[in-house]
Amino acid sequence: MLKIFKEVPKIRFINKRFIAFALSGLIILGGVAVFLTRGFNWGIDFSGGTLIEVAFQQPTPINQLRGALAKINLGDAQITRIGSENKFFIKTLASLKKLNLGAGEKMEEIEEYEIVAREIRRGLMDEEARVQAQAGKLDLNNSAEGEIARFLRDKGVADEDAQESARLIIGLRKSGSGIIGDFSALEKAGVKHRVIDRLRSEAFFSKFTFLSVEFVGPQVGKELRRKAMLACIWALIGMLIYIGFRFKFLYGLSGILTLAHDVLVSLSFILFFRVEMSLQVIAALLTIVGYSINDTIVVFDRLRDNLKIMKKDNLEAILDMSLNQTLSRSIFTSLTVLLTVLSLFFFGGEVIRPFAFTMLVGVIAGSYSTIYQSCAWLKVWENYFLKRKKS
Amino acid sequence: MDKSLTWKVGLIVAVIALSIFLLYPPKDKINLGLDLKGGMHLIMEVMTDEALAIQTDMSATQLRGLLKDGSIKYDKVARKGFNKIEITGTLLDDERKIKDILDDDFRDWAYTVGGSLISLSLRPNIEQQLRDQSVDQALETIRNRVDEFGVAEPTIQKEGLAGDKILIELPGIDNPERVKGLIKSTAMLEFHLVASGPFLTEEAALQEYKGQLPDDLEIVRTNPRRMDKGFYVLKAATAVPGKDLKSARRAQDEYGAPAVGFSFNSQGSAQFERFTAANIGKPLSIVLDDRIESVATIQDVIAGDGIIHGRFTIDEVDDLVLVLRSGALPAPLKYIEERTIGPSLGADSIRKGLAAALGGLVLVVLFMLVYYRAAGINSVLALLLNMLILMGIMAYFHATLSMPGIAGIILSIGMAVDANVLIFERIREELAAGKSPKSAIDAGFKKAFWTIFDANLTTVISAVFLFQFGTGPIKGFAVTLIIGIVASMFTAIFVSRVIFELTYGRRKKLTRISI
Repeated sequence: MLKIFKEVPKIRFINKRFIAFALSGLIILGGVAVFLTRGFNWGIDFSGGTLIEVAFQQPTPINQLRGALAKINLGDAQITRIGSENKFFIKTLASLKKLNLGAGEKMEEIEEYEIVAREIRRGLMDEEARVQAQAGKLDLNNSAEGEIARFLRDKGVADEDAQESARLIIGLRKSGSGIIGDFSALEKAGVKHRVIDRLRSEAFFSKFTFLSVEFVGPQVGKELRRKAMLACIWALIGMLIYIGFRFKFLYGLSGILTLAHDVLVSLSFILFFRVEMSLQVIAALLTIVGYSINDTIVVFDRLRDNLKIMKKDNLEAILDMSLNQTLSRSIFTSLTVLLTVLSLFFFGGEVIRPFAFTMLVGVIAGSYSTIYQSCAWLKVWENYFLKRKKS
Repeated sequence: MDKSLTWKVGLIVAVIALSIFLLYPPKDKINLGLDLKGGMHLIMEVMTDEALAIQTDMSATQLRGLLKDGSIKYDKVARKGFNKIEITGTLLDDERKIKDILDDDFRDWAYTVGGSLISLSLRPNIEQQLRDQSVDQALETIRNRVDEFGVAEPTIQKEGLAGDKILIELPGIDNPERVKGLIKSTAMLEFHLVASGPFLTEEAALQEYKGQLPDDLEIVRTNPRRMDKGFYVLKAATAVPGKDLKSARRAQDEYGAPAVGFSFNSQGSAQFERFTAANIGKPLSIVLDDRIESVATIQDVIAGDGIIHGRFTIDEVDDLVLVLRSGALPAPLKYIEERTIGPSLGADSIRKGLAAALGGLVLVVLFMLVYYRAAGINSVLALLLNMLILMGIMAYFHATLSMPGIAGIILSIGMAVDANVLIFERIREELAAGKSPKSAIDAGFKKAFWTIFDANLTTVISAVFLFQFGTGPIKGFAVTLIIGIVASMFTAIFVSRVIFELTYGRRKKLTRISI
């Protein structure tokens, strides 16, 4: 039988509680410090603004991108390279005034963002592409299937051909980097010659593609921040009530403090690494709230049994015993989830990485806090706790 | 095999069969979210206050008519805010008559009388009803427009706690401007008599009235695409409300230029006929969404039909016809969120999501097999079944699979085996305490049950809060998590147990088990 511990270990956790509290306190204080100085790196879900994910055909230094954006007065847009690929996120809160375009009349923020996105698209084009675009030609690397089909139909291509060609072109973009090099690629993909001939004079390929464009109005974020906070607090209260109901109030309180610790530590790491605060990060935090209480419950369950069996021992011994008996379980249940989270972190791609990161920190913090803090809190309230037990 | 085991195995086989049935063929049964297949996601808010204001305006007009008919003197009937009307300058003698009118014809309004001032306010329940109605109507109108535009499998639904937001998801569209214009145009077609104009600037128009515009007039700008840029002063009362429009079509004006033809329904026709007959020789403006589309002198009595002419392109005519046909929006819309995901990003996300899922699965399976050996096989079987059930239930509910949803599935792989770990560790403990394998298995399952139940329930609790809080993809994550957890209760506790019974149950003397 493969075991991490040959027999039940006899590690004394509780007497190290002050070290544990100090360590966690230090991390959380660090988080607070960063929060006060730099604050969160809010994603557009919360801050509002424009977020563009763009992929380039050629290796592109980030400075070149910044230079292109500076030309349209967007030099301070936040640009992040995605992994080691030729992909970037461009995030900006800029409005039209910033671009010196001056809104002709009152416009909604979203409409403004849209114009900003269009400007960015134009700004990133090279001279040649810009000329083509100005001449009303279609950019096959930045048009949707329906749009391409409609364009072809308007140019007199038969309906069926138009649809099939559009499907093939999009298929080509889906299978590769998202960017088509030139017309010969279309030929290989099986687009009809007469359609290609049309396209040669009516369309062009820019050297990049917008993988996604998102706009969020400013009022959404405010509401969302409030809702996110409320959801976290309610979830914590839900846990308190449930554990209080299944065990006793003091267990519930310890459980909640342990959970709050997990959330705060996760938030601190989010702050340290400037992970973007988005909806999925909130989802990860709430999942941690629900998940990391699990091994705490396992320990409490065992503690409740032991309190009946080990009547003669003092509380510290009982707590240590319970922790040790459940130690391998606590480690393994976290380990299985940790394995999947690691897989998500390394293979899941950039989109889901903030989520995976938060889960990673949360799961580790969760099992650490279960072992070093959940029972330690009960020790802190020893007098109340035992009195209740006796009565 | 004893009887109870037979029905247990039967149940498991039935669940497997049902899941496969629900899931097959997966391509048709599993809906991919927009983030995976590409497309456009819009959230817009219906400005219901404005819908109420329009309603209130109409009531005010009706009230003026009734007061006139009853020859009741008053200074002014004016809308205050979006849900109040004030009548000023009435005589004390007329109070009875006014009250009668209000009691008979304005039951939706609560009123107070204070001397010569009578204020009406919309009753709150009626107000809510009107708000709901305007959102429903907006939903319907948008659906019509999207359908006519020909987008495959659109999602159009209410969103948000107040129910005043509308979510629109259009797969496969990633250049949204034209579609958005179509959706957003309120298509409120109105006809107003021109009081004066054109003016070059708003100030010039205001100057005409010495800076003080009378209440029954309004300044409206022209649509520069159709006519010269400028402003007109129009009578505020509309001749025929846009909702009496019956149809619209592509037409030509007398010079053969593209124009939009429209016709009224019978009520609208009658009203328009009366109106034009009374105003022959006066200039009339056609106003669409608060922009003047054209101004023409009423030459003759017009009944059912008319055309809007101006500098239209064919596309513009088609779009305008489409929005007029689909009916007016009851209130303006405001975009609050827009996300466009290109097709290649979605394909990339699917590849990476699958890789992560596979990676997670392999790691967990390896871990369970190495650590628990034969019992590990048991848990792996349970895990695979868990995945199958999860996908089956998702297919049954037509749940949409998004990237966070995939993350939810991957997480449930890790969480599902938790229950197995809890049981197996407990069995090991019981074995170590000297129990026979059979009773150790028994005790292991029994004692771990409540722990597993507690642990899973807490995760479900927070997933429910997440569901309640989240929007689209986050909801998808919460749903997969909840389904995964519920399915794992079945597989880890019930199925796993049956597998143990199948492997060890028949042996008379069981001295050791592989765990």
